[in-house]
Amino acid sequence: MEKIGEGFSCSSKTEVSGELVYIKTIEDVVNLFDSAAGKICIVDDAGITTLSPILSELVGTICTTGGPGSHLAIVSREFGIPCIMAIKLNRKNISSLNGKRVLLKHNGENKGFIYLIE
Amino acid sequence: MEYIGFIDEETSNSELYGRKGSTIIEMANIGLNVPPGFIINTKSYKLFLQESKFQDEIFEILSKEYHPKSVINISSKIKDLFLSSNIPKKIISEIRKAFHKVKEILGENPSFAVRSSANIEDSENFSFAGQAESFLNTKNLEEIMLSIRKCWASLFSPQALLYILHMKKMGVELSLLDIEIAVIIQKMINPDASGVLFTANVINNNLGEMMINSTWGLGDTITNNAIIPDVIILNKKNATILTKIIGEKEKKSVLNPEGSSTILIDMDDNLKKICSLNQLQLNKLYHLGLKLEKCMKYPQDIEWAIENDILYALQSRSITTLDS
Repeated sequence: MEKIGEGFSCSSKTEVSGELVYIKTIEDVVNLFDSAAGKICIVDDAGITTLSPILSELVGTICTTGGPGSHLAIVSREFGIPCIMAIKLNRKNISSLNGKRVLLKHNGENKGFIYLIE
Repeated sequence: MEYIGFIDEETSNSELYGRKGSTIIEMANIGLNVPPGFIINTKSYKLFLQESKFQDEIFEILSKEYHPKSVINISSKIKDLFLSSNIPKKIISEIRKAFHKVKEILGENPSFAVRSSANIEDSENFSFAGQAESFLNTKNLEEIMLSIRKCWASLFSPQALLYILHMKKMGVELSLLDIEIAVIIQKMINPDASGVLFTANVINNNLGEMMINSTWGLGDTITNNAIIPDVIILNKKNATILTKIIGEKEKKSVLNPEGSSTILIDMDDNLKKICSLNQLQLNKLYHLGLKLEKCMKYPQDIEWAIENDILYALQSRSITTLDS
């Protein structure tokens, strides 16, 4: 398994895996509405902060910026799902990760990691 | 006045002023620095709906089954109805009076933050964190009137409509028509630094620690995940710094120097590297946290801003995620 990123773990320390979906607009959230179950969503700084409508079906959230006080981190904690903020990916193009299966792990404190499965 | 309450004169009442507005009144009552202003209560929203004659139309739109793919259309249709209707004269005349009264205190060219405050926002089973609208640096009465209608309409955002569908899928029937919106109008702070203070460590649920997220300029960059903030963890017993992580803070949100609203600019390289809070400011935040937690009788998630070394409390709510 290749480690592809590291960031600030802001919520549950459970280890989860799922298909990664890159969310850029509210339209993306709408399109995912009926198939959100088990997915891990990633948003970037230009991205929307409104995963709330589908959050309880997701297994994890990731953001390229932000911190524990960001709304995405707050609502992820409310739903008890892992959330890694301020993630540094070793991939330039997030879109290339769309649809890939990933694993979220934590060091038990405030570091969170993302691995590419297979 | 029937439709407006001044922040420093009222008693908290979340039915009338929404959760956020009610907390702001409470914070002012315990002597915290709260930006002065007034709140347009939920009665105004109700009267607006009644007099606008489109209440039935909205009810009809929302009572029909709708598909997730149509929420954007439905939302913009409802927003258009709100923006094409006038605010009732009685309310306008009170807003005018309140505006001029506040302007007398604030002097020439004040600017305002206009924020929505729902009577159920922040409630545990209806998590709307970050979804309520704010209109920062609103300059004049005309802009305020428009922002008020936008705040009212924000209840019917695509996100909210999707949330209702989602809850339905989970077997919970909710109606946006049961929610009422107050609108908070406060002096706009032009902060040197701002952020979020948790009076417990929300990462490891340690009640003996406080956690601060901070950046230069306005704090909307933190709440909207636009930047990586500084993170500071304090010992709650004696305010000593346990952890300090300098965030990259690549962008800075500032008041638009050429008009209303805010703009995002590149952060100075020097400012990126240094902590956006000094020791004196940390101490002030620490004491604000202790005071609010004691008053609210529960660990708090506090939004704050510092302008000219004066610390302002902008909003506070109980942390909902601590292990019991």
